[in-house]
Amino acid sequence: MNREELSELAAGYALGSLDGADRERFDALLRAGDAEARSVLREFQQTVVALAGELQEAPPAAVKAALMDRLAAERSARPRAVAPAPPAARRRPSVWTVLTAAAMAAGIAAIAVGLAVSTGYERRVRELDRQAGALRQELSRQQATMAILRDPSTQIVALAGQAPSPEARARVLWHAANGGIFVSASLPALPPGKAYQLWAIAGKNAPVSAGVFTVDARGTGSLQVPPLPGVSRVDVFAVTLEPAGGVPAPTGPMYLVGKS
Amino acid sequence: MLSPGADRSAADLIARIAGGDETAFSQFYDRYAGLAFGVIRRVLREKDAAEDVLQEVFWQVWREASAYDPGRGSPEAWLVMRARTRAIDKVRSIRRKEQTFVAPVAEGTARADPERREDPGLQAEDRELVEGALARLPEAQRRVIELSFFEGLTQVEIAARLREPLGTVKTRARLALERLRTIFGGKGSPAG
Repeated sequence: MNREELSELAAGYALGSLDGADRERFDALLRAGDAEARSVLREFQQTVVALAGELQEAPPAAVKAALMDRLAAERSARPRAVAPAPPAARRRPSVWTVLTAAAMAAGIAAIAVGLAVSTGYERRVRELDRQAGALRQELSRQQATMAILRDPSTQIVALAGQAPSPEARARVLWHAANGGIFVSASLPALPPGKAYQLWAIAGKNAPVSAGVFTVDARGTGSLQVPPLPGVSRVDVFAVTLEPAGGVPAPTGPMYLVGKS
Repeated sequence: MLSPGADRSAADLIARIAGGDETAFSQFYDRYAGLAFGVIRRVLREKDAAEDVLQEVFWQVWREASAYDPGRGSPEAWLVMRARTRAIDKVRSIRRKEQTFVAPVAEGTARADPERREDPGLQAEDRELVEGALARLPEAQRRVIELSFFEGLTQVEIAARLREPLGTVKTRARLALERLRTIFGGKGSPAG
């Protein structure tokens, strides 16, 4: 193929007007990476682009807005949320009607997608917030436990089983500023509507409730006791059987008791 | 716009678009939408339809950027050809519809209509006003450019339409582009 023939093929290709056989011939050259074919084509294409450049016309902003909406809708895994531009209708007014409808559909879809996305995010944020709150609580419990265990001024009180449950036993670790930790073993299972309640007694003062707890099948129970207002050193800890939810002063039988 | 540096960054944008980069797409649109729209408007008279085509062309750019082959030309050339081809498709589909639904108008009557309202495209034969570089081409060469690039005829179809040998049409296409290249300053670029 001589240079002139190559140029003619390239010109026809650049103008998009080659017929089948010619097109295939030139395509084959390009596919083969023929340097001359590529270089001649590139020159002619630049000329065509320059010709197009003379015609430059700024499109209305609505076209880009519609495109970006389509992208957003596609990104939200809803590729069909915005219908492709409808075919132009036969009469001008209906073209506008259809375009307006398409623009509205695009707007509504964008809002719907936005709402769906933001609702999704809000739900996740709330869930993460809830998890963070639970972790913070757990961490502060652990820190309180560590503070109690680390401090030499922490009292350790052993509680012994009383008449209803001689085999039961428990320990209380008590720290005036940090509160206490209570653990029990071998307490009888609770009757319905009942709970065990822990009491702290200082000197001759009335017992102060340190909280209620339940036990598992093996009679194991535990309680994290916050610092009790007005209670520093505790002389006696006791556990009684009380109505579920606890009472202000002990009313039921005593199951465990221990002196510091 | 057509300097090698701009060319490279246009190819970069295409590569990023192929990777799903919406910012790159937005930049590519801002830079080249006017170029594509000019071509579309030249082919397709109806502004509403031209805007539809522009949107479809850039939607194709978004979806098919990974198919761009630098061995077949610059991104600008790729875009211009897509814009031109889609606009011609649109003109043809509108014409087909009008033939189907408004057919009772005789071909002779339609041609006699001086405003040619029914024709969504521009006929090279009827264009009185040719501006810019095309106006500086000999009539015969200008016609080949009009019929091939703006009307989408193949060289065989142009030869039949003009009743000229195919070889003559091919030569005119080459001469026309060579002459335009000279007009645009040897490098094919009016800008630089």
